[in-house]
Amino acid sequence: MSGAAGHLSVDALLEYWLHDDAPAVSVDAADEHLMQCDACGQALDELIALGEGVRTAFRAGAVSAVTTSGFVQRLAGQGVRLREYRLPVNGSVNCTVAPDDDLLVSYLEAPLAGVQRLDAVTEWSLEPGVEHRLEDVPFDPQAGEVLYLPKIAAVKKLPENILRVRLLAVESGGAREIGRYAFFHRPWPG
Amino acid sequence: MEAVDASAAETPEGRVARRIAAAAPGEAGEAEAELYRLLAPRVRRYGLRHLRDAHAAADLMQHVMVHTIAQLRAGGLREPERVLSFVLGTCRLTVMDQRRGERRRAELLERYAGDLPMADLQIAPRLDQARVADCLERLPERERTVLVMTFYDEQPSEAVGTQLGLSVGNVRVIRHRGIDKLRRCVDAGRRLS
Repeated sequence: MSGAAGHLSVDALLEYWLHDDAPAVSVDAADEHLMQCDACGQALDELIALGEGVRTAFRAGAVSAVTTSGFVQRLAGQGVRLREYRLPVNGSVNCTVAPDDDLLVSYLEAPLAGVQRLDAVTEWSLEPGVEHRLEDVPFDPQAGEVLYLPKIAAVKKLPENILRVRLLAVESGGAREIGRYAFFHRPWPG
Repeated sequence: MEAVDASAAETPEGRVARRIAAAAPGEAGEAEAELYRLLAPRVRRYGLRHLRDAHAAADLMQHVMVHTIAQLRAGGLREPERVLSFVLGTCRLTVMDQRRGERRRAELLERYAGDLPMADLQIAPRLDQARVADCLERLPERERTVLVMTFYDEQPSEAVGTQLGLSVGNVRVIRHRGIDKLRRCVDAGRRLS
């Protein structure tokens, strides 16, 4: 998996950095190479900086993500302060976010068995008629739920509003709605 | 993959190490600073990968460089041109020692660090965090999720795949694609600014 001129590829560097199982280049070989190749060392520095950038952005609540309960549980175990809302199929909830919350987690229950691809369509009452479609969102079919983590930094600044979400199973014949949800948001009092 | 000792005598590190070894102890300040500039970032990288802590990596860098220069000054390296091999070996032993709770590192630092000529180092690049967040938001959901899960607590592809119901190969493909787009986007922002 070496790149041009005997350099390590980005994938090889990433596998090395992340302790991936069965990396294309062994750890010892990568250690030796990096001890003499500044070009690969700088490429690794760039990857590490990029990873740190992703971590910082997520920790600051500046990016949204669709993720899994396992990931959220690990965050909770690290002391991340969570505010969680669980919605049944076609459910709604009154919600808010506190100034010291680190992460806002929405559990959208849905019949996901057999679903190959899932899209989510969102609409804010602040922008009536404007829909945003999130295509091919990741999900664990066994879990029967979709975990959505909005940008909490932005949510903390929002006035009272309603967010409506529809989950669509995308099939060869088109899209089939499998659940709709409403979040009645109010700013944190005080 | 080439071995560390390949053409050792012809490498810049090998030449500088020979100059230090040939000089009277402490009389090769420029060469010592040059060796530090060449090797310290590599040792730090090794430390980051194996110790996962920036402070521990900085300590390792100091220790290994102090030890290497002390050995060169004292004539302790029979083949100074093989300094890369010596440095890598010292990194490995020091990390093993650290894991066993050894105190030798602190003793060496106390003994030699005062007269070690330090050079300015270019440490890891700093990115515009707002730009990174903006670029992340532009990624397709699946790529963003894989990158967040990968980097937030440094999960290997197998762990990410297990949680998302994806194969290891699939995670690596999505990760590769996402990183490529993210790098391009961040780089484009850097060029503009």
